[in-house]
Amino acid sequence: MQTVGQQLIIAAIPVLPALIFFVLALFGRLLRVNAQYVAILGVTVSLVFSSFALLWVAGLLPGEADGSPIEFSVNWIDLGAGGSFSMGVYIDGLAAMMLVVVCFVSLMIQLYSGAFMDGDRRFAWYYAVLNLFTASMLGLVLAPNFIELYVFWELVGLCSYLLIGHWFEKPSARDAALKAFIVTRIGDAALFIGIIIFWAQTGTTSFDGISEAAQAGFIGSSLLTAAIVLVFIGAVGKSAQFPLHVWLPDAMEGPTPVSALIHAATMVAAGVYLVARTYDIFVQSEQAMLVVAYVGGFTALMAATMALVKRDIKRVVAYSTVSQLGYMMLGLGLGSYTAGVFHLYNHAFFKALLFLCAGSIIHAMDSYNLFEMGGLRQRMPLTFWTMVIAGLSLAGIFPFSGFWSKDAIVASTYDEHYYVLFGMALITVFLTAFYIFRAIFLAFTGEPRTEGARVAVESPGIMVGPMVILAFLSVVSGWIGIPDSFRLPIKDYFAQLVVPSEFARETLGLEAHPFSLALAAVSVAAALVGIGLAYALYVQKPERAGALSRRFSGLYTFLDKGWYFDALYGATFVRAARYLGRLARGFDREVLVGGLTGGVGRLVSGFGEFLRRLQTGGVQNYALFILLSVLIIGIIVGAQYAFLVFALIVLATITAFAVGSRL
Amino acid sequence: MTVAFAFLAGMTLVSALGVVLSRNVVHSALFMSGSFLGIAGYFVMLNAPALAAFQVLIYVGAVTVVILFGIMFTQRPQVRRYRTIINRQSWWGFFVAAGVGTFLAYVLANEDWGSTSAGNGPRDVAGFGRDLLGVSAGSGVFVLLFEVASVLLLVAIVAAIVVSRRKTGEGVDRGVRE
Amino acid sequence: MPPIPPQLQQIIDALTAAPPLESYLVVGAILFAIGAWGALVRRNAVVIFMCVELMINAVNLTLVAFADYLPNAGGLGVSYAVLVIAIAAAEIAVGLAIVLAVFRTRRTVNVDEITSMRG
Repeated sequence: MQTVGQQLIIAAIPVLPALIFFVLALFGRLLRVNAQYVAILGVTVSLVFSSFALLWVAGLLPGEADGSPIEFSVNWIDLGAGGSFSMGVYIDGLAAMMLVVVCFVSLMIQLYSGAFMDGDRRFAWYYAVLNLFTASMLGLVLAPNFIELYVFWELVGLCSYLLIGHWFEKPSARDAALKAFIVTRIGDAALFIGIIIFWAQTGTTSFDGISEAAQAGFIGSSLLTAAIVLVFIGAVGKSAQFPLHVWLPDAMEGPTPVSALIHAATMVAAGVYLVARTYDIFVQSEQAMLVVAYVGGFTALMAATMALVKRDIKRVVAYSTVSQLGYMMLGLGLGSYTAGVFHLYNHAFFKALLFLCAGSIIHAMDSYNLFEMGGLRQRMPLTFWTMVIAGLSLAGIFPFSGFWSKDAIVASTYDEHYYVLFGMALITVFLTAFYIFRAIFLAFTGEPRTEGARVAVESPGIMVGPMVILAFLSVVSGWIGIPDSFRLPIKDYFAQLVVPSEFARETLGLEAHPFSLALAAVSVAAALVGIGLAYALYVQKPERAGALSRRFSGLYTFLDKGWYFDALYGATFVRAARYLGRLARGFDREVLVGGLTGGVGRLVSGFGEFLRRLQTGGVQNYALFILLSVLIIGIIVGAQYAFLVFALIVLATITAFAVGSRL
Repeated sequence: MTVAFAFLAGMTLVSALGVVLSRNVVHSALFMSGSFLGIAGYFVMLNAPALAAFQVLIYVGAVTVVILFGIMFTQRPQVRRYRTIINRQSWWGFFVAAGVGTFLAYVLANEDWGSTSAGNGPRDVAGFGRDLLGVSAGSGVFVLLFEVASVLLLVAIVAAIVVSRRKTGEGVDRGVRE
Repeated sequence: MPPIPPQLQQIIDALTAAPPLESYLVVGAILFAIGAWGALVRRNAVVIFMCVELMINAVNLTLVAFADYLPNAGGLGVSYAVLVIAIAAAEIAVGLAIVLAVFRTRRTVNVDEITSMRG
């Protein structure tokens, strides 16, 4: 990547949306509705450049492109003997794929938002922050070292906060934004500690550097595991895994396109991306890999159970996101790097589509509640069919895209002999299919349950267009990763592009397992059972669902309240934090403002009152003081005994006050 | 000379005390002019007869008269008790003034002034005049000072008139009030 | 004239010798102190003026004493004393004018009663 022009093109990928942010932030009020066109233009250009990068890295460009990663960097902070930090770019197959995905999904969302956010009070600001987010996510993907990653990591968190709280007139939105920021902050703090440990032990923050240093033995193995786990906790926070998953359902207070972009396709994927990017470091600690796998597996199961009973369609999809991210972590933790990243790639498309469909329903009906919908199939056919496609892809039905990646992960749990995880993954497949089709059946079949459902109309073209495109991708995006054993004309391009490094493969020491038809059949069967159960409960005999929920009302409440995690955190951490806040406020008010600053003020004014008595208004008093001072000064100048001088000064001062107060 | 010095010292200092301690204001004024005369005597002893003449003319003549005029215009009857003429800081003032005086005397008396000999002042008026006009050696600055002093006197005359002018509408001075 | 005996001559010499410089300075210092005390202590504004004049005269005395006794001073102290006299006269004029103006409005020359700058 040698010419300046090519470097500029790569650098423009994140810089261009950032520039758009500034333009829209400054001139948003002038642009109003035209803000969307400016933004879309910027993202399209970034998408083109990202495709260029992808082609370069894939070795498909004529010329110097030979498939090696693009990397260049600039020294940013130079501490001399303390080391230096650089800002740069590193694009390999993984990063290039992510760049294209982020730009593409962002483009779809921005097109969709033109109609969804029409008439919003802060239309241009919405687009501005959306572009800042895109820029930050792209920067995160490009980062070659921890410091640059952390900078963009925080920026992404900030944009999430801003966007969740976009409608900050609603107190629930404000609270949700704060909750998201604070919970991810816990992860961020752990990540930072991990970075510091790495930097302290190895003297560098670049991923390659740390990996090599760890191999060379610069870091003790337990310290290495600890640092890796801390980094993973950062990923847990950002990707809403157990136990930091509580913020993602509340984040649905933000506009639906935001949920589609940030909380489905890109930002929450940043955690998974971090693990994938630092895979060379992760594989050096077996315990860390196990932690990743089990956390991922457990989260997948837990979130799927919570999604079973939700009434809010967006919350169903939110828990689904948490669950699918768990899948990706599971895949990475087991060593199936390609499968985990493949699922990330597929999931971006169908999850964004699911959110957009939910947004379409909300736009038409102004309600989130599944039990207020019904019978929308006739009135909103495009939404219905795209949502069904997304649901099938999510459930992992052959030959939709979700099948290829999800099956690969489930198969790898079996092949690597982690049977507990296999069981969990399989149950999750069943639950996933059930809850998503429960939502689809409740919304689209049967009779309209409210007036709003009766009069709903299909959404405008600019909204449906991106949905259709994403639906198409939900079907075909997985086809570039079909294993070669099928002997189709399409090769497994994905596995060629996104591979773990030589070193990682050697360390993991896994053999490649061929595609197993039996396992695929098992997972598809589980999904079909789930869909069938949903059909039985919600289409054939809807009252059965109600009866079930009443029979098992305890379990129902347990699941509905999110396994009481919110209550638990609220009773412990939140109360403690509130108490500390009250303490700090009391201290500030009483001691600092009242005591110190107030006290200084009172002291000075009191002293001033005391001195006021010297101002008697009598000229002869003043003359006396002057003469006295002259005497004192004369004695000081001529005196030879310091003690005498000091005593005289004290005497004179007391005299002046005494005289002044009496005269 | 010593006799004359002691006599003049007594005259000057006793008259000064009379200024401070006299209960009658006019007595104070007359004591003041007595003190001035003592100083004039000192000037003669110090070989500056022209200056002594100036002292008598201006101080004993003009200043005393002006003070008496001022007393006349701001008349007060003679008082019986010292409390009326001496204010509350009499003892403080005494100690401070005594301290200053002692300090000054001590420093001045113990300072080494080098070789001193009487008789260096301008004995004759011509030499004195040349000094004042800035003509004689080393006194060049007095040209300016002399002119500045004359301007100052002019300003003082004008200021005195302006400040003590009677504004229209004010009543006539009541003069003596019993 | 009969020859004067030596002891008498000594006494006469002592009596007719020029006083030392320090004695003039001490007298000046004492005069200054008396004037300062009076300026601080008396209530009548005109009397305060008189005491200020005493102080000025003390200064003049010191100046002229130095002029006479220091051979390198060139006898210029006397000229300075003349200027001081001029300034003092100007000061008396303006000061008394002010006292008169104050007396007109307040009907008093007691400086203790003029305390409007108090506090």
